[in-house]
Amino acid sequence: MTKTVSVYDPRGVVDAAPLAMSPRVKELQGLRLGLLDNTKWNANKLLRGIRDQLAQKHGFGAVNYYRKESFSLAAAPDLLDRITAENDIVLTAIGD
Amino acid sequence: MGKTETPRSPAPIEAPAVPEGTDLIEWYYERGCSDGLPVVPPTPEKIASAVTALGGEPARVVTRVPPRWGSLTREVLAINMVMAGCRPEYAPVVEAAMLALCSPPFNLNGVQATTHMASPLLVVNGPIRQAIGMNAGCNVFGSGNRANATIGRALRLVLLNVGGGWPGLLDKSTLGHPGKYTYCIAENEEASPFAPYHVEKGYRAEDSTVFVLAAEPPHSITNHYANDAEGILDSVCSAMSTICNNNAVSAGHCAVVLGPEHAATIAKSGFKRHDIRHYLWAHSGNRWDDLYGNGRYGKVYNRNLPVWYKREPDARTPIVPSPDNIHLFVAGGEAGRFSAFIPGWGHMSSPVLRGVGGAQPAGGAECADGTCAL
Repeated sequence: MTKTVSVYDPRGVVDAAPLAMSPRVKELQGLRLGLLDNTKWNANKLLRGIRDQLAQKHGFGAVNYYRKESFSLAAAPDLLDRITAENDIVLTAIGD
Repeated sequence: MGKTETPRSPAPIEAPAVPEGTDLIEWYYERGCSDGLPVVPPTPEKIASAVTALGGEPARVVTRVPPRWGSLTREVLAINMVMAGCRPEYAPVVEAAMLALCSPPFNLNGVQATTHMASPLLVVNGPIRQAIGMNAGCNVFGSGNRANATIGRALRLVLLNVGGGWPGLLDKSTLGHPGKYTYCIAENEEASPFAPYHVEKGYRAEDSTVFVLAAEPPHSITNHYANDAEGILDSVCSAMSTICNNNAVSAGHCAVVLGPEHAATIAKSGFKRHDIRHYLWAHSGNRWDDLYGNGRYGKVYNRNLPVWYKREPDARTPIVPSPDNIHLFVAGGEAGRFSAFIPGWGHMSSPVLRGVGGAQPAGGAECADGTCAL
């Protein structure tokens, strides 16, 4: 029998369940659109430009604008809860 | 034209054992577990020694490391320490540094993922420096000392292996810098005319601490002509006042490392740590319009800078918002009139000072669970 030597995994376990993607919407008409600005230099310009282009083609039920506290931190849980409650679709972008 | 390597996730390790005679260095390379240099293949004996030095209980979770959020158990930390080449007695420093890096004010998630080149700089204070043979003298940022080299390397291996900060995948740094291999020094308390850094921050001299800062590489400051504090410090101010370091446009914290000769000259003028930090703050900075092309690209507000900065063409823009955001150390060899300025990443990350082995400050600092947010 061949002798063996032990090998080790240096990576540690990730204790998190993967989340499924939300189903794609088929029609934008009448939906509530949320825009999440990550507060980078040009994120607001990029998002507002896309918002204006989309609004020319689609009649949204509402357009809501949100800002993260800092571009380098995850959005606060209560902000995510608000966005979820107040919108049907959300658009986010960074703009360096 | 240069070839760009496609980013690659490490392959899963399923086999707990391989045939004797396997080239283990190549085996770990093939699984993507290296920082690019050969790793020391861990053995059960070496891992056990490191786990014991960490306090036993191999399954105990030390912390979780972003952005992958892998669980850093004592055993996993020991494996990475061995791979880096650490001796077991480095364990208290490595553990304290990982806890400091993973405390919320440091925002390791952002540090790991940013397009900026920042990498954690670790500065060690107190008697553990000498106990484990760290270099605080000649070539302090350079090669040649096992403790400095392998402690810094162990942190990087954890950030890669457990934190998932693989270049091109979760680490989006445009350029990176050589400190991403290892970036660890000790303060030269013996050659310093000032109180050690950790004593300034409220610890006892006999305590040991780790300090971490998300940092750019050191920028050399040469001054061979001045024989007083002002002359030396004006050179430091000049290095601080470049318009493109990340502090200049994103505030935050920075470090200044005075070489012992410069420190002695400054001390001879009667300057203490407090005076040095205030002098540097008061006499560094940039003209607002110089930071933004003198109006060529329109009016710039820059939300990264504090709201109280005056945004007018001739206004002085500080490098960092307060003298307390300049972290002052003395390190390096006894000969040579050199110092270094080390810009930070910006307001997105705060440096963290932590006692080794649970040491707490004698008083005065805002601390919780052994970690002091600065």
